[in-house]
Amino acid sequence: MLGEFEYLIITAAASLGDQAYGAAIRDAIEETAGRKCSVGALYTTLDRLEAKGLVQTWMGEATQQRGGRAKRMVRVTAEGEAAAKDFYDAVARISRGAAWAVKRTGGIA
Amino acid sequence: MMGAGWWCVETASGLLEPREREAVLGDLAEAGEAAWHGLIAVLGLALRRQVLLWKSWRPWVSAFGVVLPNSFQLMGFSMLVSSMFLQDLQRGLRSEELSNLLGKSVLLAIVAWSCGFAVGAISRRTLWVSCVACLLPCLFCFSRFAVPHRSPLSLLLFLPFAMCGGWFGLRRGRLRLRLALPIAMTATVLTISGWTGSWLSLLALLWPGWFLVAMARKQPARA
Repeated sequence: MLGEFEYLIITAAASLGDQAYGAAIRDAIEETAGRKCSVGALYTTLDRLEAKGLVQTWMGEATQQRGGRAKRMVRVTAEGEAAAKDFYDAVARISRGAAWAVKRTGGIA
Repeated sequence: MMGAGWWCVETASGLLEPREREAVLGDLAEAGEAAWHGLIAVLGLALRRQVLLWKSWRPWVSAFGVVLPNSFQLMGFSMLVSSMFLQDLQRGLRSEELSNLLGKSVLLAIVAWSCGFAVGAISRRTLWVSCVACLLPCLFCFSRFAVPHRSPLSLLLFLPFAMCGGWFGLRRGRLRLRLALPIAMTATVLTISGWTGSWLSLLALLWPGWFLVAMARKQPARA
């Protein structure tokens, strides 16, 4: 099963679609999840996810905004989507009946 | 990305793989991070990479199974060979002593080379730790060397062979079996024939050669 940070990266990358790369995923995690995402944690976790076959990465184009440096693009694989869905389902199941979940969903969680 | 701070970041990024360096420096530029934030990010990633490498058995075996114990043994062996050489010179060279000296010299070269090769082959990315693990015993013995009329450099006779082996190990990774097997067998026969120390020391000296044989069996060396 995925770890929490792995889930955040896969979900952010899936939401970003064709625009998923290192800096964009970092921004998405920091803005949406409200947690700090260091470059070190991001890239080592991406390597781990790639080794597990959950994401694919490749070097994209260089842009002026990036000082002429290339991006490391990320695409979530079918296995990655399945793993993220499993994680989400597990969190939803275990949250049933929890006070904070009932309060947010009106007991539908 | 200009100034002394970014120069430090660029320099520190040399610790990363080229593709990763490109992506990380680009991300930092795009995010408009301060130079010292960038430096912490780059150093943090480099540190994580090193820590992850130590989750494997390879750097542990290389640094503490080969380099550290064998550095002491090979320094002792180097002293033995240099003593034999000087004694032979003083007494005059006789064929029996010359062959004995030659055998020991060949053994020193083979064992040091195979240790170096094993280290280069199994721990490429943590080679610096293996280098430190070799350097520390050498400096320790060098600083305490007190044999009259002898240069402390005689401790380091093994070092050129070990470095040469390490270079080959880094470049080739594996040996062909037809090369690895004679090396390991020659070292074993020469060592056992004149061995007076403990079996553990013998094993520590010989296992890198047989490790090369075991690795060579799996697939032939890269062209």
